[in-house]
Amino acid sequence: MSGRSDNRPKPRLRPLLFLLALLAGPCCAVSVRAESLPAISVSISPDTVLVGDRVRCSVRVEHRDSESASVEGIDSLALKPSVIMAARTTGSVSGRGTRRDVFEYEIAVFARERLACPPLTVVLRSSDGAITNRFPLRTPKAVIVKALTDSSMHELRPPKPPVRPEMPLFLLLPFFFTVFGIALAILLLLFFLKRSVRRSAERIDHGQVALRKLRKLSSRLSGGMPPPDCYEELSNILRSFLENRYRIRALEAVTQEIERDLEKIGAADLDTVMTLLRQADLVKFADSRPELDESRQSLLKAEEFIRAARTEETEK
Amino acid sequence: MQHATELEELGVKIREASRFIEKSQEQLSRKIIGQQEVMQRIFIALLVNGHILLEGVPGLAKTLIIRTFATAMNLKFQRIQFTPDMLPADLIGTMIYNPKDMEFYPRKGPVFANIILADEINRSPAKVQSALLEAMQEHQVTIGSQTFPLQEPFLVLATQNPIEHEGTYILPEAQVDRFMMKVLVDYPSYEDELEIMLRSATTAPDIQVSPVVQPDEIFRARTLIDRIYVDQRVQRYIVDLVFASRKPAQFGIAALESMIEFGASPRASIFMLLASKAHAFLQQRAYITPEDVKAVAYDTLRHRIRPGYEAEADNVQSDDIIRQILQHVQVP
Repeated sequence: MSGRSDNRPKPRLRPLLFLLALLAGPCCAVSVRAESLPAISVSISPDTVLVGDRVRCSVRVEHRDSESASVEGIDSLALKPSVIMAARTTGSVSGRGTRRDVFEYEIAVFARERLACPPLTVVLRSSDGAITNRFPLRTPKAVIVKALTDSSMHELRPPKPPVRPEMPLFLLLPFFFTVFGIALAILLLLFFLKRSVRRSAERIDHGQVALRKLRKLSSRLSGGMPPPDCYEELSNILRSFLENRYRIRALEAVTQEIERDLEKIGAADLDTVMTLLRQADLVKFADSRPELDESRQSLLKAEEFIRAARTEETEK
Repeated sequence: MQHATELEELGVKIREASRFIEKSQEQLSRKIIGQQEVMQRIFIALLVNGHILLEGVPGLAKTLIIRTFATAMNLKFQRIQFTPDMLPADLIGTMIYNPKDMEFYPRKGPVFANIILADEINRSPAKVQSALLEAMQEHQVTIGSQTFPLQEPFLVLATQNPIEHEGTYILPEAQVDRFMMKVLVDYPSYEDELEIMLRSATTAPDIQVSPVVQPDEIFRARTLIDRIYVDQRVQRYIVDLVFASRKPAQFGIAALESMIEFGASPRASIFMLLASKAHAFLQQRAYITPEDVKAVAYDTLRHRIRPGYEAEADNVQSDDIIRQILQHVQVP
């Protein structure tokens, strides 16, 4: 057993070796990674489009920080007929001493066939601008361009609108609550406004208004107003009062219609008011000329009728 | 109250002159049950020299009313059934060749009567319709080279069936406008129908109507109607109503603006005034009130207001438009 050689480390050396391995690991990785640079990948999507659609070609180059990368050959595309619609380059430091550049191209395609991707060349330059390396690339993928029903299609189709992520409902709820609140506030405001207007209108004593007008008319009659004119105004005062008191269309109604409506309602002292309205009709339409005393009597009768109607209203 | 003497006198004359109306109404009521409004409209048209377009479903006694009316009024009656193969000569007459004396003689058509019932006027072509409408307008007919005046009074009552339109020639607006009134004949009431049934359900109805009116009485009434007083307020009210059918927004009925394709013509104002006068005469009054105007407003405006596309879509008829107008235009 003594002649047998044993290559295995001694147990007391094992922790030391483990420590060395821990330290050497990253150094090896850095060196391995530095050796694998530049790392280049090409992607093209989607793989199937319709004529006029756009494809996105993306070239990712990871290289040393001391170098700069560019893509050549993208203008002389095998993908013909095609038009580069947009190009964008973004760069970022991806790790210690390395940098990642992304070259993105948006290409509109018009040919109806299976199209290979463009032959690209990634060119790396040193800080003084000298070309240090060229990497010709060719992607194995191809884009299938499908025809529309009209094979003569050669116009550019508009890009599809980007799909926006749906707004979460809980974010919209405050907005809805605000709108609902404002609408409710406006409705309430209108309701109270209407009610107050109605109440103030109800508070107007139409009988009082009519009596005041009659008194004015009486004084004008004493002041020399022609009796026919007095009857015309008397008719208007009575009609306005009837309209407001009994809620009937008296201003747009003829005397017969007013009589019919008042009969339906069961208005008190109907005969008096109808006699007055008929007298007024005679003055207005039959060229009748009443005496001054007769006009005064009519005004008094009208006052009595309005007072009676007011009393009836307050009793109710 | 001191009335104007002239109007008082006229009122007395009207009361006297309108007695024949009562007599004829009495005769009419022996044979006609209900349809009081239609009969009143026929009286109005006869009194002011107008013509009537009657519209109603078949079987509403349109022909009977007119025939009885003519008998009671002692007037010559002719019923003309309008058909698609009719010619103007069938209506107005033609020149007939007499081989004996080798000359042409005019042969007068059925239009030579006092009261004409043009049954289903929309069944005949436009040339026949226009021949009748010309006779209505001119009160004379030309056969060959000779012109013959029509007998007075001359009243045309044309009927239209509102439910059958196949094979009809709809009267153009310009021709419809010549009718003073368009009267809708409606179904009788329950009680009226009961009485009609009991009276008519015999194999030989023996109700006879005797002539009680002389044409002179009609002419006298016409002269009195011309003298009926129309106050300026009423005149303006009539024009307001007609204008409201043309420009409803001006009268606070903006909602009607899009409902009316075209409003009433000036003939509407003329006929409304005439019809109101005749209505006042029937009420034995020597003056017009807005009540008379409202009473004839539907019949004189109905065929002169054409509802627009929106109205048709909302099933708004011309009567609904007139109702709105009457409810919004202020009465003097």
